Amino acid sequence: MGVALEIHRACRARLEAHGPTRLDRVKVAIGELSAVEPEILRYAWEAVVYDGPDADAELEIEWRPARQVCDDCGEIEERVDGEWLRLCPRCELPLRVEGGRELDLLQFAFTPLIDVPRVETDEDDEGGSPTPLDGSESLP
Amino acid sequence: MSQAREVDVRQPILAANAAAADTLRERFAAAGTLVVNLISAPGSGKTTLLEVTVPRLRALGLRMAALEGDIATERDAERLRAAGIPAYQIVTGGTCHLDARLVSAGLDQAAFGPLDVLFIENVGNLVCPTSYDLGEDLKVALLSVTEGEDKPFKYPGIFARAEVTVVTKADLLPHVPFKLDEAQAQVRTLRPDGRWIVTSATTGQGIEEWCAELVARVQAKGATRG
Repeated sequence: MGVALEIHRACRARLEAHGPTRLDRVKVAIGELSAVEPEILRYAWEAVVYDGPDADAELEIEWRPARQVCDDCGEIEERVDGEWLRLCPRCELPLRVEGGRELDLLQFAFTPLIDVPRVETDEDDEGGSPTPLDGSESLP
Repeated sequence: MSQAREVDVRQPILAANAAAADTLRERFAAAGTLVVNLISAPGSGKTTLLEVTVPRLRALGLRMAALEGDIATERDAERLRAAGIPAYQIVTGGTCHLDARLVSAGLDQAAFGPLDVLFIENVGNLVCPTSYDLGEDLKVALLSVTEGEDKPFKYPGIFARAEVTVVTKADLLPHVPFKLDEAQAQVRTLRPDGRWIVTSATTGQGIEEWCAELVARVQAKGATRG
């Protein structure tokens, strides 16, 4: 629920300068190691936007699996999402785990509810540059 | 009505928490305080582990305090005060994890004074606390032998992040079907460089090893104090 609230809050903060608006769609990236279950997040999202101007806003979730990597053989392509290999299937060396920690707001779409003169902001897709994602959560 | 517009954002969803956690980290670094974020399922023995840890570290002259996160009640903070350290209870009122803003507010309220170690006992939950940076030096995952040995693969997020996994209630191993080797292999898969410590608060097994791990980290933190 906290994550759904933060998604909504972040979108709404960026819409403050646009007058009355309706959020139509929000796209997020959720990693396998983020400890967020997509279906529960969808449910929480519906509860967060329920009964407000964004009640019909669709939450689009881009799932990002973790990767298992062998120092000698590279990424293990045969890894199945949700299952974990103990050793490299080719050389039997221990594997490293990489990625899958994404918990990112990627994009949203909105509709102004009244015709107002357009306000350019840093956050606007046509006027500003995206905030870089924090890469500090890299795996050991 | 106007046409729909798209906005590229590309920022961490928990950016506000991350900023608050960075502020906490600076505060802890300046004070030379080691911060330990304890995360487990409810009933895994976080408070009990602290109850046996506190006397040993106090005997070494370390100054400690605890922030206790719980959905309701002051019980855990009372237990730790009885064990001899200042403890402040953060009652989250239904929220299933602590976040950096709650910790910051709790610290301001508690006014602990100078500390070598701050324990943050998170709300009993293996999912939600995983994603929230509290400005800690290390996350410690607790896994009791009365739980399933498949917990690490069921909750990979926390076991991949925890620098230390502490197995608790090891005195019960003869009486439960918990497969210690399997649990360890799962944790190693997710976190090859993590520490694995098997403990029992009842018999004292592993408690010295756990305390030595903390002491080494306190010394390392003190050495880097700005």
